Amino acid sequence: MLSALGNPRQAAAQLMNFGLILSTAFMMWKGLSVISDSPSPIVVVLSGSMEPAFQRGDLLLLWNRNLFAETAVGEVVVYNVKDKDIPIVHRIISKFGTGPTAKLLTKGDNNDSDDTKLYAPGQNYLVREDIIGSVVGYMPFVGYVTIMLSEHPWMKTVMLGIMGLVVVLQRE
Amino acid sequence: MASQDKITVYNLADLKNTTDDAIPNYLASLKFTPSHLLTDVRLTLGFSAFALSAACFAWDYKLGFESTKHYTAFAVALYTILNGFLTFWIFYVEKGTIYQGTSPNGDKIRISTETKKNVPVYHMTVEVKDGKTGEKKTLKISRSFTEWFDATGRFVAAPLQTVLAQGVDVIGKVDTKRAAPAAAKTEGEPGPAAAVYTPEMLDMLSGAGVSVVGSAAETATGTETTEAKKAGKRRTN
Repeated sequence: MLSALGNPRQAAAQLMNFGLILSTAFMMWKGLSVISDSPSPIVVVLSGSMEPAFQRGDLLLLWNRNLFAETAVGEVVVYNVKDKDIPIVHRIISKFGTGPTAKLLTKGDNNDSDDTKLYAPGQNYLVREDIIGSVVGYMPFVGYVTIMLSEHPWMKTVMLGIMGLVVVLQRE
Repeated sequence: MASQDKITVYNLADLKNTTDDAIPNYLASLKFTPSHLLTDVRLTLGFSAFALSAACFAWDYKLGFESTKHYTAFAVALYTILNGFLTFWIFYVEKGTIYQGTSPNGDKIRISTETKKNVPVYHMTVEVKDGKTGEKKTLKISRSFTEWFDATGRFVAAPLQTVLAQGVDVIGKVDTKRAAPAAAKTEGEPGPAAAVYTPEMLDMLSGAGVSVVGSAAETATGTETTEAKKAGKRRTN
């Protein structure tokens, strides 16, 4: 409301409400990170390499603590390749050794070969700390929104426009 | 006094916000001293929570998750506590308070307001503490917004001020002009009607082209409620 500009406390309160919406969303995300011990506890599947288990657009919930057992062969994990920012979700197909230095090899269920070609040059296996979490739950299709938004940037503009309109029209 | 822009009369939030803004202005004009303690505590809580989360964002962005996760865990816990306390403050301490202050006579007053969904009635709870005797009392005043908004959505300050001056003696003692009709109108009907329609309001109404039927109905409700208020006032005193 424009009249709020005349009153510094009221203006500050409105700014605070807006800020708290953002910060609460961020802190909820961080809380989830802390609980699951994963830097990114929710990821969206971007490729079809894990079909038929996961399709493009599935939302995955990750867990990165080894409370009862070590990460084992057969688990679907999300890992980050050194110096690359895109997390990859694939299955562990073999494991040599135990503990944090165990050598892990991964492969997409729908791929013909294992992931050695996807790893960084000179890297032939993963270790536990490359993994940012094992998949413990998923929601089909929900993440498709983010894929659409990143592949068709004009949709972001449209969505921001709609959200702005809603905020303007519905002020409680 | 209040902003001259028109509001949508169907928007309850607009009705309430405009009235909420007008009351502190009115009391300020009567030389009441406002106390901003409640708001300041709320702002402090809210902004410290926000600052904490901004700091958390900064260190997470610069240093990554792994090296800072213990600080992050602590920040999340502290943020939850701060936000929980903020919620507690808003719902159990502020309870819709729109004004807290001291009258020129030294009496303390606190006004909280609320509306019920889809009902255009303004519920005021006025807590008064006498400056000399320390005696506390709580008044509840519920009035229809139609008393101080005209059909076109313009806010008319005088009727609202009259409601407050007549209903709350701490305000009435200071604003004797608005409080006067309540004392003088013991004979009956014409008094309150004259009090409800001030020249400036009639001026506005004629400009807005409000129907005669509408005005007549308003006069009727105005009379009734003032009458009821009078009785209420006697009881509380």
